[in-house]
Amino acid sequence: MLGHKDHGKSTLIGSLLMLTNSVSRARVEEAKKYSSKLHKSFEPAFILDSFHEERMGGLTIDVTRAEVSYKDAAFSLIDVPGHEELIKNMISGASYANTALLIVSAKRDEGIRDQTKRHLFIARMLGIDNLVVAVNKMDLVGFDRAEFDQIRKGLSAFISRIGFAGDNVSFVPISAYMGDNIVERSGNTGWYRGKPLIELLYEKAGGAEGKNDGALRIVLQGFLGGRKDIVSGRIVRGHIKVNQKGTCIIPLDINITVRGIIVNGRGVKSAKVGSSVALKLDRSVDADVRGSILCGEAYCPIARSAIRARIFVTRRLSGRLSIRFNGMDIRCRSIKIIDQIDSTTGELIKSKRAAELNAVDAELSLMVKIPAERFDETRELGRFVVYSGKEFAGIGIVM
Amino acid sequence: MIKQNLKTLEDRSIYILREADSKFSNIAALWSMGKDSTTMLALARKAFLGKVPFPVIHIDNRIDFPETYSFREYLAKKWKLNLIVAYSDVKPDAIGSACCGKNKPETLKKVMKEHGFDALIVSIRRDEHGIRSKERYMSPRDAKFRWDYKNQPAELWDDYSSKLDGGSHVRVHPLLDWNEIDIWSYVKQERIPVNPLYFARNGFRYRSLGCTHCTVPVKSDARTVDQIIKELEVTKTEERSGRSMDKENEMVMQRLRALGYM
Repeated sequence: MLGHKDHGKSTLIGSLLMLTNSVSRARVEEAKKYSSKLHKSFEPAFILDSFHEERMGGLTIDVTRAEVSYKDAAFSLIDVPGHEELIKNMISGASYANTALLIVSAKRDEGIRDQTKRHLFIARMLGIDNLVVAVNKMDLVGFDRAEFDQIRKGLSAFISRIGFAGDNVSFVPISAYMGDNIVERSGNTGWYRGKPLIELLYEKAGGAEGKNDGALRIVLQGFLGGRKDIVSGRIVRGHIKVNQKGTCIIPLDINITVRGIIVNGRGVKSAKVGSSVALKLDRSVDADVRGSILCGEAYCPIARSAIRARIFVTRRLSGRLSIRFNGMDIRCRSIKIIDQIDSTTGELIKSKRAAELNAVDAELSLMVKIPAERFDETRELGRFVVYSGKEFAGIGIVM
Repeated sequence: MIKQNLKTLEDRSIYILREADSKFSNIAALWSMGKDSTTMLALARKAFLGKVPFPVIHIDNRIDFPETYSFREYLAKKWKLNLIVAYSDVKPDAIGSACCGKNKPETLKKVMKEHGFDALIVSIRRDEHGIRSKERYMSPRDAKFRWDYKNQPAELWDDYSSKLDGGSHVRVHPLLDWNEIDIWSYVKQERIPVNPLYFARNGFRYRSLGCTHCTVPVKSDARTVDQIIKELEVTKTEERSGRSMDKENEMVMQRLRALGYM
């Protein structure tokens, strides 16, 4: 759930929850009572924004998740803060999404803002493929088709420039506050031929698992039961079979064979992508396995210390830089900025300075070798968080 | 309520428990003998080759239900739990936030310090309460056990980067994604033992369990796990409607969580 502050993200989720009966009456009543206590008319956003400070200030401070039940599906809506200074929380929330729902207000003087486009830029960088754009507050512009078309036209070029495929993008005119086109098509927008918002989301629910192809990648978490021959991990790509030939652990460079697999308490012959596994190996491993990758030796990532990456910068890249990759903190020796990209246009800027809230393409030199892959090859091994000292400074994807 | 994919939930919970086990040196879990923390123990048994590798703490104010105490003894023996009972005596007339909100966190602080625990597994779920839906999977608490909810650490892609950083401990929330109906569907699938008070007697059952002072049963005819799942598919009332403290307002709950309430 993306968009500029005050364009109605939390209100929309509140409405979605109420109109699909996904929230209890007591919670709606609580939100109503609190609204009147603050001398406001009923604010659906209060169902989501439960911090006192959020209700007083009318803003979302941190991520909230809410479960919507519709037809046979239960899906999570992740509400994120729209304010610039809370972008760290926005990125945390968006990293768990597989579809972006962008809210743009059609109200005069609101419309498409830098933050609207920046959120889309980040979503695309995080690898989100599906996009629904809800043009909100249509009730305030008389449900005028021209206002809707203007926003659609204003965003379309940017959306395709940053890499969303046309087939994966839909636009819908709504009023989150009044409930138009949320679960039913509204009589106020006779000119709109598409589906109501909940249907568009329903079509895109689910999916977003790792690739289930021949390339095996298991991120190892550690040893189990105090034994050096049983490891735990999560399969982020491919699948594993008992006694499978040609498997190794990198960057430790140890050849191993998996003799037994336990998935969630049960012994099994094979396990597929997404599973948390315990693996009995044919030998003990002396080194610490945490953060290593178990993979097929025919096609495996090569551990390296030089990485080319695109980084979305949220804080000046200075001082003691490190990256958080795959559960490990790794110091950076140096960073060389090659290009800078304006996150509100998707275009190159001729400056080597890494400005906050824009992206840079950079060469990173790390203190140790990591088994990184290109993001478009294996997402789970192609992304990282950047820290400047102890402070969150951005996110990166390996190119 | 519609249930989510149990395998997906199970995979993530087990992943979180194993991450906690690898990251921290001295972990404990809170166990209230309720359905959620008991489900968490069932998941821990799956994550760690059949046994729960960390101690479980019961903050006991000596006014839990008799059924709860016998369930505690039964399961502690059956699953060979390392049970720590920390007593938290209450004044006879204390109720709601004066009781759970003040006494229990104090007792928890004491027992955490005594044993030097650096991580605490708490089986909260997002759908229980507006404030709980703001939590991270792993969340640091400062030296005074406070939750700095306005400045939570980034937590991307199931990489739980929370560090102690001079704080008292990190809270671990492996059940954050689960909803009430998922818990019951999993109890059914895995045949997890539960406290008998959850099942209806004479037209009433406990939907959420606290102590005898603060918990009242709700109207229900659900006498089996299957009937509870059926009931939840259509219910419109709040899970914790039988808990007196939650009826105090959101602000109270937020203050309590910030101060270290579970």
